[in-house]
Amino acid sequence: MRHEVVWMAVTETSQQSPSATTVELQDVRRTYHLGEPVHALDGVSISLPAGSFTAVMGPSGSGKSTLMNMVGCLDTPDEGDVTVAGQDVTVLSGNERAKLRGTELGFIFQQFNLMPRLTAAENVTMPLVFHNDLDDGRRQRAETLLERVGLGDRLDHTPPELSGGQRQRVAIARALVNEPSLVLADEPTGNLDTDTGAEIMELFEQLHEAGRTILMVTHERHIAEHADRIIHLVDGQIEEIEQVGGER
Amino acid sequence: MKLTESFRISWRAITGHKLRSSLTTLGIIIGVGAVIVFMVLGGAFEANIAQDIREGNDEPGMWVNTQQESSGFGGSQILTNPIYTESDVAALESIDGVDFVAPEANKRAIQLRHGDQQQTGQFNIQATDPQRLDGDLSAGELFEADDEIVLPADAADIVDGGLAVGDEVQINYDGGPTKTFTVVGIVEESPGGGNNRIPTAGYISLDNYGTTVETPDGDTEKAYASMIVAAESTDTLDETQAAVLDYLKTDSDAAQLKGDDQVIKAQTVDDAVDQIGDIIDQFTFLIGGIAAISLVVGSIGIANIMIVSVTERTREIGIMKAIGARKRDIIQLFIVEALILGVIGAIIGVAVGLGIGYLGATGIGWPMVYPVDWIAIAVVIGMTVGVLSGLYPAWRGARVDPIEALRHE
Repeated sequence: MRHEVVWMAVTETSQQSPSATTVELQDVRRTYHLGEPVHALDGVSISLPAGSFTAVMGPSGSGKSTLMNMVGCLDTPDEGDVTVAGQDVTVLSGNERAKLRGTELGFIFQQFNLMPRLTAAENVTMPLVFHNDLDDGRRQRAETLLERVGLGDRLDHTPPELSGGQRQRVAIARALVNEPSLVLADEPTGNLDTDTGAEIMELFEQLHEAGRTILMVTHERHIAEHADRIIHLVDGQIEEIEQVGGER
Repeated sequence: MKLTESFRISWRAITGHKLRSSLTTLGIIIGVGAVIVFMVLGGAFEANIAQDIREGNDEPGMWVNTQQESSGFGGSQILTNPIYTESDVAALESIDGVDFVAPEANKRAIQLRHGDQQQTGQFNIQATDPQRLDGDLSAGELFEADDEIVLPADAADIVDGGLAVGDEVQINYDGGPTKTFTVVGIVEESPGGGNNRIPTAGYISLDNYGTTVETPDGDTEKAYASMIVAAESTDTLDETQAAVLDYLKTDSDAAQLKGDDQVIKAQTVDDAVDQIGDIIDQFTFLIGGIAAISLVVGSIGIANIMIVSVTERTREIGIMKAIGARKRDIIQLFIVEALILGVIGAIIGVAVGLGIGYLGATGIGWPMVYPVDWIAIAVVIGMTVGVLSGLYPAWRGARVDPIEALRHE
């Protein structure tokens, strides 16, 4: 329980009423023209309530990545509406979407995607740097978050000096530093062994308990079962939305 | 994104590739270094000449002469028309601040002989007022009679053992008679004035000179092609120079006697130093400009490395964009990186240039000069080159699509 109390302390500013919707996708279509048109997303509608933990599963080519890019404001739909943190993403400019990513979203990748020459603490503060947030308290915030993920003694190590599990912990700290409305995780345990993966999922559970809204893409069922519900994508369409317990 | 943050992040990128960064700055180091070396050497050469001119010309004064107006390339030509009359000399001497006026008249000699030794060539024998040699004597005394001569030290050395006070010397004028003089004094430094292209081999009394002109008033007076106007004080030299020029250009006989395209000049030592300085400056700029071409090469080097580095860091750019970096943040990062490379290159280049310039100048025996304005210009050029060569790579970096970049291995 100690962990949870500390999480709450950091995250309380982002607490929202349970009824609020963080992300809303309305009949989203995205087609790539690679010789013949590929319908990566073919009329997808999803709503992510605040505080929900949603997993997305599906075979490769099912549109998982495109869905992540849509929700992550990296891509815009050809048709349909995407609303993230109350903003209509389809009408935003590239720079406005960048600002939305920097202030409302937290990204966790399979490849960790840390800046190789910056220290753990510097990596964690990166999202704040681009929008001049919290000029003075950045280092303090990074230290608190890194302690929270169990890396209090690795603040000034660079990614090459850290193990895979440690790198993913740095990435999780980075994803939380801007108090995001939504945490996006793309195969967060895909590059980790089973034990380390389980430790990382424990952190996700703690985030969920602390009230974070999480969207996670994975192809492993036992990872997806940590979520409240699993969205099954096939050929760019939602095949099934499965409610799971949220507990293993 | 704040500039201090981009400096921190860019600095990491630079120090993360030490060898590559060093090689990249090398182009700027060589370019800026070369420019500074030439500016130091040019400045040192100029300072050396200025020193030479000022030595032996420490008495305040000016050299009055007539020059052909704007003869194009090669500067102005000094004329030998006798237009400064005795009345002009007298009038100038009465101007406030003028100490004395020493007219000069050069006679061309082709041979100097002492006993059975002789020196043949082109020499000036200058008839002048002995006052101007006062203070420069290193031996003997000033001439009084028309068969007495004062020799400059280098002219006294043209015979074995050197000429000494009391020796006799025969001078063979060009196309004219030979006249025998008695050496009465030696001057250490030649006291300035005169036409420097032909060495002055002796100073004699104005009694040896008899060229006359008809003045505008209808009188016949002796007239000279040039003269030294000595001033009473260095402090008031500028005012005295203005007054002398004012008289010469308006009320003097010379103003009437000179040709329409001829200009009367009164040049102080400072004027002469400035004039020579201008000429040396032009050469320095020319050579420095050639050296600056290597700066262009250096900037291409920076641009090249930055483009490589954008490609190499495509994934990092993608990460930064995913977590909130805008286009201008990416542009800022790469331009700051190029700027740092340019400024470091410029600073090292200035240091290297000053070092080599110092070794060169002191090796030749010229005084060391610090071209402060060029150092500032070099640093500004380094910054500009850095920013310019960073522009295109930065623009490419900003265009990176984060989705593509994150897939990039």
